[in-house]
Amino acid sequence: MQTPTVISGEDFQKFREFFHRKTGMLFEDSKRYFVDKRLLERMTATDNESFRSYFTMLRFQASGAELQTLINAMTVNETYFFREEYQFRCLVDSILREVVARRSSSRPIRIWSVPSSSGEEPYGIAIYLLEHWPLLEKWDVEIISSDIDTRILEKARNGLYADRAVQNMPGPLLKKYFRRVGSHYQISRSLQEAVEFTRVNVHDAADMRSHRQFDVIFCRNLLIYFDDLSRKRTAESFFDALNPGGFICLGHSESMSRISSLFQIRRFPEAIVYQKPLEAR
Amino acid sequence: MALKRGQPTPADHSPGERQEPRDLETLLQTLLDGDPMKRRWAARDLADHPTAAVALATQLQHETDTTVLQIIISSLGCIANDVAVRGLIDCLYLEQALLRNTAIEVLKELPEPVAPHMGQLLQDPDPDVRIFAVNVLESLRHSNVEEWLIGVILKDDHVNVCATALDLLSEVGSPRAREALQALKQRFPEEPYIQFAAELALKRIGVE
Repeated sequence: MQTPTVISGEDFQKFREFFHRKTGMLFEDSKRYFVDKRLLERMTATDNESFRSYFTMLRFQASGAELQTLINAMTVNETYFFREEYQFRCLVDSILREVVARRSSSRPIRIWSVPSSSGEEPYGIAIYLLEHWPLLEKWDVEIISSDIDTRILEKARNGLYADRAVQNMPGPLLKKYFRRVGSHYQISRSLQEAVEFTRVNVHDAADMRSHRQFDVIFCRNLLIYFDDLSRKRTAESFFDALNPGGFICLGHSESMSRISSLFQIRRFPEAIVYQKPLEAR
Repeated sequence: MALKRGQPTPADHSPGERQEPRDLETLLQTLLDGDPMKRRWAARDLADHPTAAVALATQLQHETDTTVLQIIISSLGCIANDVAVRGLIDCLYLEQALLRNTAIEVLKELPEPVAPHMGQLLQDPDPDVRIFAVNVLESLRHSNVEEWLIGVILKDDHVNVCATALDLLSEVGSPRAREALQALKQRFPEEPYIQFAAELALKRIGVE
């Protein structure tokens, strides 16, 4: 087939509004090249010679498969230690402060990181708590991390990482919590023992039932891959997985307000997060 | 104190909301329980029972807890049979914006079940309901969307309904909509927004 034509300014505007409504991702004009390139790639892959025909497919395809593929192409599926670190700062400086302030018993604080991917996020949370939360002296913290993919869970348990995964890790912490193994970094045994990895399909009620009573949930860059109704159902499951007053942290381009109104918005100095109302049961 | 390896929640460790059996009959009873958390869980689990649509739609009219109401709406969306869709459509007539908007969001995800009702909704005597119907079209993955919108801007007398449809047409409109857009401009010559938005839609449709 012929190479698709260029994307006009009107086309870009139309696409940008639609994509923002569907995903919450808003592309500035400065991202025009990035967006056009991916749109043209997908147009070629789907045999659409004009933007109009591609947009019609994107907009009306019953399965929504092409929209999903485009979302994958537009997002950076990269995970590394301390990605979006400001949320970890929010955890230690704001969220946990509130959690412990209203805690009447000494039961452990529970944190759930989902999806675990290859473990960078849950181990990163553990390191952040050890380094930046002095109250860890007084409180037990349980970290559970889950993923649907058993192979990735095994990788997470093994805790072996390439350079790229630890690129944001300050040298002293790298030295403290990792051991060099050939060209890779092996996470310390004490951290491996501190995080429990479990298999969970967030769409499966039975799986979700066994993951409850959390004070904080990290669910970053997962919901964006679901259709609207699945996203809503998952958010509702998270609502019941949290203790009253519990918090949920989403990815930077995600907004709970677009998904469900069950949660309250909390604007902390470090980040915007979402809270299950204290009075909710 | 320290980092401890956590465990999934033991079944007997939670405060009782799922201790009843999860069969249809018990769930339907639990949907009427005094405890909103039990009702919420019942509403969620009833999504697996299409025959529960009647009970869920009925409970929509009586439920007082907004968290339970939202779950009922999601469950009706999962069931998505005709009873469930009618229950969701009834929400368009509610005063509570939260529920109405939640129902609109769910209806948007149900193109085939919603399609048979759309013609009637777009002719509802209440212009607000017609606007909500256009809101449903916003993300409805159905091949008739443009045709429904063209119908609205050709025939609806209410300027706000037409303006809502016009906004969406500027996104999904094809050359098929061009004549209707021109006609709309003539029907509302004194409405600056209609003039502006119709021009924008025409510009986006282009000259092909």
